[in-house]
Amino acid sequence: MTRLLSWFLSTLALGGFALLLGVFVWQSAPIWQTEGTRYVTGSAWFYRQHQFGALSLVYGSIAVTAVSLLLAGPLGLGAAIFLSEYLPQRARLWLKIPIELLAGIPSVVFGLLGIALLRDWVYRVFTHFDPLSGDTLLTAGILLAVMILPTVVTLCDDALRSVPGRQRSAARSLGLTGAEVVWSVVLPQALRGIGAAGLLAVGRALGETVAVFLVIGRQDNNLPHPWFSLAPLLEAGQSLTTKLGGAETNIAFGDHLHWAAIMGLGLLLLVLTAGATALGTLGRTPHA
Amino acid sequence: MRRGMDVGLGLLTGGCLLACLTIAGGLIWAIVSRGWGALSLSFFTEQIALVGAAGGILWNLVGTTILLVTAFLVCAPLAVALTLLERVWLKQKRVRHWLRIGLYTANGLPSIVFGLFGFLVFVQWCGWGKSWLAGGLVLAMSMLPTVTLVLIERMAAIPERYIIAATGLGLNEEQLVWAVLLRQSWGGLISGCLLGLARAAGETAPIMFTATIFAGATLPKAVVESPVLTLPYHIFILAQDSFAPGIGTKIWGAALVLLGLVFSMSLAALPSRLRLHEESHV
Repeated sequence: MTRLLSWFLSTLALGGFALLLGVFVWQSAPIWQTEGTRYVTGSAWFYRQHQFGALSLVYGSIAVTAVSLLLAGPLGLGAAIFLSEYLPQRARLWLKIPIELLAGIPSVVFGLLGIALLRDWVYRVFTHFDPLSGDTLLTAGILLAVMILPTVVTLCDDALRSVPGRQRSAARSLGLTGAEVVWSVVLPQALRGIGAAGLLAVGRALGETVAVFLVIGRQDNNLPHPWFSLAPLLEAGQSLTTKLGGAETNIAFGDHLHWAAIMGLGLLLLVLTAGATALGTLGRTPHA
Repeated sequence: MRRGMDVGLGLLTGGCLLACLTIAGGLIWAIVSRGWGALSLSFFTEQIALVGAAGGILWNLVGTTILLVTAFLVCAPLAVALTLLERVWLKQKRVRHWLRIGLYTANGLPSIVFGLFGFLVFVQWCGWGKSWLAGGLVLAMSMLPTVTLVLIERMAAIPERYIIAATGLGLNEEQLVWAVLLRQSWGGLISGCLLGLARAAGETAPIMFTATIFAGATLPKAVVESPVLTLPYHIFILAQDSFAPGIGTKIWGAALVLLGLVFSMSLAALPSRLRLHEESHV
């Protein structure tokens, strides 16, 4: 009885997730049929002309994620090294509480903080480059960096502490200083876990919607020329998630191809985040 | 030189930690200091007025509560079922491993994806329009992986000898589930649900297309076309209009209340979570 019931409910739950994946594949099919790979490589998105090129949205997502990882990665890893290598157990637990709390702030409140504190700051600091407003890809990236910081700290701390203490004692007894132990014993062994932490943080950053929505400027078709130019970072942009979170999703439903293009963005997002998260999870659990 | 490097690394990493703590403390302080002035009894008991510039957040709190209760009621049985599947009924190690990987991956899915899914399936196909039930179901789905993973972790931490003793007393698998596994891990269900609900309470993306509007809803009386007001969406809409005078303190007040709601739920789950987290890695 219990067994039957748990199988039934589990099937229901797993079926729901399978349906979710299926719906995105099925509903986006028309756009793949009409546009093919041009859907991902095309740079123009004008839905009234039925032009659906998602490249600028993919670029926006990757740009804000890259900025956030560049900022939160080193800072978070540094904090994790101090937490795991320098602090006693008790102090570590206490200091992790504010970091867990930071992780708990809802993303809409982060967005509000971004509007109130970060937007004007970015505008003032980069005024030399003459940005149109404080709503830029860079602003979104900085805000995201704060949001993924707890993920980076917690997971890097786990990775560092999974290196056995015996190895540290052995290295110390050979005459290595604390810094040398960290540099040549702990970090190399924790590298895999640290990489996994980075991937999981990337997954989180790619999928973040509401906070980014409020400070990114939501300007379509912002692409760098030439492609390595950093100028678009100080312009308003658009990412996969902010496009999906906007009013266009409601408008699109009546139009067969437009809706397929929107669901295609959802599928791209799904594949990118699930890929990063699954790889990160596999990296974290080599023995499982 | 070596000594200097040693001190240098300590200072550098300590500085990083200090910066993280300053950011965390500073942001929380920024919300508390701005929102404190808006809090009063009437803020909780009055409904929204003047497009958010006056009045309170009564129906927003009610709506958020309705969504959370629905999500909890749907999510809890499913999480228990999935946990039992992973812990008891699935015998092959490989399948269990992939189920866990799948759950971790689902846990990382962006919330907007659930919102789109709910919009298509419940709002459009089922013809519910914006409905509290659609929102509750979508939130249940988005928190299900979190709750299940916490519960699995907790059930896996039950000492082996309990299970051996129970088997020695002649309990079959079903009796073992009810007498030992569920009884020993119900704390995990509570803290898992609190954690999932804390996250769900602050979510905007899954409910903005499925369940919530900005003004003009009270208690839902049916399923079809029965939206609710919610705190996150309230903040989301006001934030896009934050230059309007008068909204200033109100929006921070709403943010502070939401923060209080989320923190009280995650703090209640924190001790058991930190302890478990530490044990599982030592």
